[in-house]
Amino acid sequence: MAKNEKKNILIKSGTIIDPAKGNEFVSDIYIKDGIIAGIKENIKTGEDDAVKIDAEGLIVSPGFVDMHVHLRDPGSEDEETIETGALAAVKGGVTTVACMPNTNPAIDSDALVKYILEKSQDAACSILPVAAMTRDLKGKDITGMGILSETGAAGFSDDGKCVADSRVMYEIMRYSTQFGLPLILHEEDCFLSEGGLMHEGHYSSMLGLEGISSLSENVMIARDIMLARKSGARIHITHLSTRGGVEMIKKAKGEGLNITCDVTPHHLFFNDSYLTSFNTNLKVKPPIRSEEDRKALLSGVKEGVIDAIASDHAPHLDTEKNTTFKLASFGTIGLETLFAAAYTKLCLEEKMSISQLVNSITILPAKILGIDAGKIEVGKTANITVIDTDAEEEIKRESFISKSKNSAFIGQKLKGKIIYTISKGKLAYMSK
Amino acid sequence: MNMLSKKSIVDAGSLEPEDIELILSNADSFLEISRRDVKKVPTLRGKTVINLFFEPSTRTRTSFEIAAKRLSADIINFSSSSSSLKKGESIIDTLKTILSMNVDLIVIRHSDSGTVKMIDRFVDIPVINAGDGKYQHPTQALLDLYTIQKRFGKFEGLKVAIVGDFLDSRVARSDMDLFEKMGMEVTIVAPTMFLPEDYSEMNVRHNIDEVIKDTDILYILRMQLERQDRKFYPSVMEYNRFLTLDMKRLEEMKPGSVVMHPGPVNRGTEITDEVMDVGGTLGEKIAIEEQVTYGVAIRMAILYLILG
Repeated sequence: MAKNEKKNILIKSGTIIDPAKGNEFVSDIYIKDGIIAGIKENIKTGEDDAVKIDAEGLIVSPGFVDMHVHLRDPGSEDEETIETGALAAVKGGVTTVACMPNTNPAIDSDALVKYILEKSQDAACSILPVAAMTRDLKGKDITGMGILSETGAAGFSDDGKCVADSRVMYEIMRYSTQFGLPLILHEEDCFLSEGGLMHEGHYSSMLGLEGISSLSENVMIARDIMLARKSGARIHITHLSTRGGVEMIKKAKGEGLNITCDVTPHHLFFNDSYLTSFNTNLKVKPPIRSEEDRKALLSGVKEGVIDAIASDHAPHLDTEKNTTFKLASFGTIGLETLFAAAYTKLCLEEKMSISQLVNSITILPAKILGIDAGKIEVGKTANITVIDTDAEEEIKRESFISKSKNSAFIGQKLKGKIIYTISKGKLAYMSK
Repeated sequence: MNMLSKKSIVDAGSLEPEDIELILSNADSFLEISRRDVKKVPTLRGKTVINLFFEPSTRTRTSFEIAAKRLSADIINFSSSSSSLKKGESIIDTLKTILSMNVDLIVIRHSDSGTVKMIDRFVDIPVINAGDGKYQHPTQALLDLYTIQKRFGKFEGLKVAIVGDFLDSRVARSDMDLFEKMGMEVTIVAPTMFLPEDYSEMNVRHNIDEVIKDTDILYILRMQLERQDRKFYPSVMEYNRFLTLDMKRLEEMKPGSVVMHPGPVNRGTEITDEVMDVGGTLGEKIAIEEQVTYGVAIRMAILYLILG
């Protein structure tokens, strides 16, 4: 923002979706010194120092909470940094990001959690470090989860890897009950998935690409449900990709277990038939699965079995993607397309209500992380996203502000554009 | 002018029936040229073809080289092992170098599936897939088809059994696509570890004895049991019991039936020594050398149709 930045903001006549209260209404919002000062119709500030946002016909939502993001900082700052990742976040309407610990070095110590927290002070959005469950993500030695939670870890995860040793996983679960933070689990039996490049099925067979069986995910979900049942741990299955996973989690929830899960927009959007292009931006982990799995994930969101939608934003350099399918790295960026991709599939095609979608990217992930976010309330710091649901855009490589451009959505037409993002009380993004 | 309906030959499945017919019918005249005393015609004089091989190959590379030379094209071999092209070193950069030298056609082999398709999207000149990873080997499928046509004079209704590691074979994928397109009945004979997780939609047997008496074409894949990434197949002994073509099985094959193999044969694994060296009427069943001869004619036909 320029130096002549106006401190106060007036959002006029937007359609406000407030997931905390579960209602939708047209009103003005007045933000004074970064704090929401008033929510009511026809606010007259009488001052000229307020930036006026005409939100008539636009959706005004709490800023989104993306609970699964790779910021690559420290270690791979050529791919993304806390600063650029946060800018990409606010462009996507995201005002709170939980960043994963598979950096270099991994976020497995007090010092590294502090590093993230300190470096995030000036970032465009709030950043919550998720700390490793095991030292250097090796799946062996449990990290100092007690100290890490005191320092400010938002949860624990070995994301990118899965703890193969069931005893270690069981002890992590038992220990985590002392601190009440969620365990964010990447479910993959690495023996079943070894060498795999895409979902094992008709298309992997047709394309001669080594498959990753759904069993690789399902076996680990089944194990961890059993371990959680016994230990009482609060577990969160991240980037769920299989029909079998949805069914198991539905059952576990029915049984009253403390289990939640999220899905990515790319798993809701694509199926494995898209891989016939050998587009390396669609090489992700877990893999884009079959149409049957995709349908189950969509129903899972609609029925509320799947709590949250998270991007699994995974930046990679061009050199890691402009190569053969086998050599290409796994991952797609996703912060900037989070809402549009989910909205296009869930609301436009599947006719899910927009307020349900907003829940899954605001109040529900906030609840899982145990943070006070995803609401629009007087007296709170303003984190607000203004969306034009009618605006359609063809996603182009040039349009990304993330340091990396490896988006699976390049070339897709998506509806639902972020027009303004107010983050940490300031106008952090405005579309051109 | 390219007489085929597409710029390139990337996979067997997307070849149009009229393209296949055109290639096969042209192969006859090139077969005749290869049998002459002076085996050279000036058809492609002044054209430059690059044999871009990222994976070692002797047979296919030589076959393309002979085909191009008999048509008077200049053919240059450019070999680069895939392992030397690590992450960071771009194949695209290698291609830009080659394109700057104004070549007319690229023949590519690569160890990774889908690479030729990617390259074809990137370059404007025609590309011929000489085998990429586990994905496709369309010229092999075309020469196999030509061999079958020469032997049987028809395709419709012929019974083919493809025996061996279906999952890891680009030859099997390309053959299956073309054979089915031409109206042949294809059965895959393979153990579970060489099949996709769900093969319920495929016509599968696990034991060669279940198909041996009834099959017209026994298509045997190259087996390198010692070179499996992770060794799931138990042993050569186990393979011999259920899948190897031995004398007893060869004798059971019906009159007029043939044995094919993309080469080179691992003697003792998929075919026994005895079968490989058998003479007489039983020996006539083995069409492996014919495949190699026809391979040159097919590749001449393809080069001619694309560049002629």
